[in-house]
Amino acid sequence: MSLSGLSRDPRIILFALVLSASLIGLIPMPTEHGLDSRLKYGLDLEGGSWLQLQLQGAVVDLDCDPIEILRMQFGSLGLIDELSARSGTYQINMAGKISKDDVEEIGYAGARVIERTNQTRITLSVSPEYVILAYLKSALDADVKTVGVEPVRYEIRSNVTRESLNAILAPINGSVAAGEEAFTEGVTIETVDETKKVLDQKLNRLGLQDIRVRVVGNRFILIDLAGVDVDTAQDVVGKPGKFEIRIQTKGNESMHVLYGDAVQAVEHPKSGGGGRVGVPFTLSEDGAQLFQRAAIDSGATRNPQAHYVTMLLDKDEIFSAPLATDLAGSLEKAPMRNLEATVGTGDEGWTKGRELYIHLREGALPVNVEIIGSGQVTAALGAQFKRQITIAGIIALLIVALIVYYRYREKRIVIPMVGTSLSEVFIMLGIWSWAGWQLDLASIAGIITVIGTGVDHLFIITDELLRGEAEAPKPQPSKNLKPSQKNIQAKAEQLAQEGGKISIPGGKVYVARLSRAFAIILGAALTTVFAMAPLVWMGFGALQGFALIIIIGVLIGVGVARPAYGKILGYILSENGRNA
Amino acid sequence: MDLDEIITKYPPKQIILLPLAVIAIALIVLGTTYLTTGSPVRLGVEFTGGTLITVPASGTEEGLAEDLAGYPVTEIRSVGSRYMIQFGPMSDDDYTSLARLINSEFNDVEIRHMGPVYSKELQMQAIKYLPLSFLFMAIVVFILFREPFISAIVAFCAFADILIAAASMNLTGVNLSLGTVAALLMLIGYSVDTDILLTMRVTKRKGPVEERIIGAMGTGMMMTATSIAAVFSLFLVSNLLYLVVPSFTRMDIIADISTVLIFGLIADMFNTWITNAQGLRWYMKLPKKAVRRSRK
Repeated sequence: MSLSGLSRDPRIILFALVLSASLIGLIPMPTEHGLDSRLKYGLDLEGGSWLQLQLQGAVVDLDCDPIEILRMQFGSLGLIDELSARSGTYQINMAGKISKDDVEEIGYAGARVIERTNQTRITLSVSPEYVILAYLKSALDADVKTVGVEPVRYEIRSNVTRESLNAILAPINGSVAAGEEAFTEGVTIETVDETKKVLDQKLNRLGLQDIRVRVVGNRFILIDLAGVDVDTAQDVVGKPGKFEIRIQTKGNESMHVLYGDAVQAVEHPKSGGGGRVGVPFTLSEDGAQLFQRAAIDSGATRNPQAHYVTMLLDKDEIFSAPLATDLAGSLEKAPMRNLEATVGTGDEGWTKGRELYIHLREGALPVNVEIIGSGQVTAALGAQFKRQITIAGIIALLIVALIVYYRYREKRIVIPMVGTSLSEVFIMLGIWSWAGWQLDLASIAGIITVIGTGVDHLFIITDELLRGEAEAPKPQPSKNLKPSQKNIQAKAEQLAQEGGKISIPGGKVYVARLSRAFAIILGAALTTVFAMAPLVWMGFGALQGFALIIIIGVLIGVGVARPAYGKILGYILSENGRNA
Repeated sequence: MDLDEIITKYPPKQIILLPLAVIAIALIVLGTTYLTTGSPVRLGVEFTGGTLITVPASGTEEGLAEDLAGYPVTEIRSVGSRYMIQFGPMSDDDYTSLARLINSEFNDVEIRHMGPVYSKELQMQAIKYLPLSFLFMAIVVFILFREPFISAIVAFCAFADILIAAASMNLTGVNLSLGTVAALLMLIGYSVDTDILLTMRVTKRKGPVEERIIGAMGTGMMMTATSIAAVFSLFLVSNLLYLVVPSFTRMDIIADISTVLIFGLIADMFNTWITNAQGLRWYMKLPKKAVRRSRK
């Protein structure tokens, strides 16, 4: 094997590439704060606070009959003569007169109500799911959504238990379906994402720097806020934004119409006529009157084009458009509760619509959240942690280098070995830098433990390659057994002095020994990877960095750094053999 | 007498009594703790719920206790230049006002608050994941050796390491925290390294078993020593230096991880070179072994 052969070896090339890419990732670059490495640090090193939120809710399978629900609901209005389901509609014949308003009151706004003598025929063009949904919403006083089709599941966006839900369903002879899976705590991934998006926007709007909102599973959201006290952080997340509608009077002037408390409900954006996307929202009765009066007083009803309606959230404009002509006409006559803000067309319209939807809800989260854990580290303390853990890392490297030296006393082994260990550290840091992952206190502790396992594996490779006698045909008499550490050390010293006598085997034997060493370290690495895997998810990701850096560090070690080390050591030893 | 001699001279069945006695002691320690506290290891604040706050030590501990009289303080402890205050469970409003009070009185505050949901969830996760990790490790070991007895003995050694590490936690007053759970998981992976080395060397090499064990020991002892050295540097900086150098402070999570790893790695030296090695000595000398090997 020659030096040029060595430099063409795929293992060496891979190692060199990975190492140089990592080092490039660590080069300090000029940033707004001066010269800085791309490496990002976690909150516990930078200072800041964190909140762990639990999204309250459940996704459930239900056993209940819409007919029973209707029987109960309409039973409260009067005597039911007949109640039947036919081809996607429900038909209810009630004794006496029932007004359309009564039917709307119990949640069926689109019902067809035909009054006859002594009887009222009500036709509901609604699905069975709609009936169940409406019942759950009013009984729980919470938002409920359907999930999937056949079988439909229901996502309840508030704090319920199987028992409390069964109690609510008991009057209609329903219950949560049997089986563990029928009641899953948490909400759907879509809802978690929506909540995350709302939080992201809210925190961004407040102009906070360096915010990280992460989702764990289907129940937890973690928020990191750099440079903020934990009490401030709690206020920010808990407090809704301030929403206001103003209407243009003349020129640049505008008048206050209403605040967010007058907005009763907001629906998801939908496509209206001409592909225009609108966000429907409902005002309270008082709000509708305020709106009507403002529209008339400002003159908007007579000249809608010259009077912009503006929505503000925390004083930022989030929507502005002239009063719609048909709405202006209606407002002349009566207050309107159901309004729609039209935002635009196409994809852009949808994006704006979704944003406005969130804003209209004043940054209110789609589900109830509970702060289940929180904490803070100040910047000065974080800096101290960083200093201390760096010292620990340096001490670890020094001790490890000393042990390696103590064992082999031969610089041609010690230098590549310590060099490999060091390069593994740089590769891990480089990966973190390129990936933009945060390096927290626990991750650095992870790096230090990987230095430990890494050198362990290098010992295995080195000792396998250096072993001569054990492979020799004549077994040593057991009486003369010496600790093999001395054997290895003696061999290494021998290598230093004479070189030639050590038969570091070329070709086949070298490959056989190296592959046996790799069988050991691969097994050892896999057990570590599997043992660490749960920590990626456990503890709400608090030790995710620790687990990930160990897993990646061990895999990089086994896959990239240690094969290269085996090759280099083989080269050094065989060169020695040949030169003698 | 040399360790080498002890583990090669005496019959395996005699030597194996030693680790069995140690494991029995560990079980007694865990059992006693279980009977007194309802859990085999003492649970830290992350598992019981509560609040941990550290502040720069400016006044006296008594003065601090007076300032916090309205809150459920359970412990105040001096850690280097800082005080660590531990609180029992409290309402969200109390916690918010406490955080506000502490942040207005002190400049350099560390707070960790774990609500009941958090700690309950964490307990469930620990109960779920620790056995899972162990199972995965055992599967890897089994795939590696494909011999039930040999795989079982490696898994048993890892299990013994964890038992001993957990018992040592009880004896030295280290509570179960997220950090110590991480360390126990880490031990599952860490501790089998030397067992795999030993078993590979013993089963895949020629020559007398004792010689192969001693050969593996040279490498293995160095491995564990290096691991302990790396972990000790963590322990030193996170848990010891603050006692000597006042400008240093305790780093809980690192202190937890490194303490348990040191216990576990020491237990691992013992279990690998005594429990596992003796098991292999005994197994390799069984008559059927010879038949199997000669057939190869």
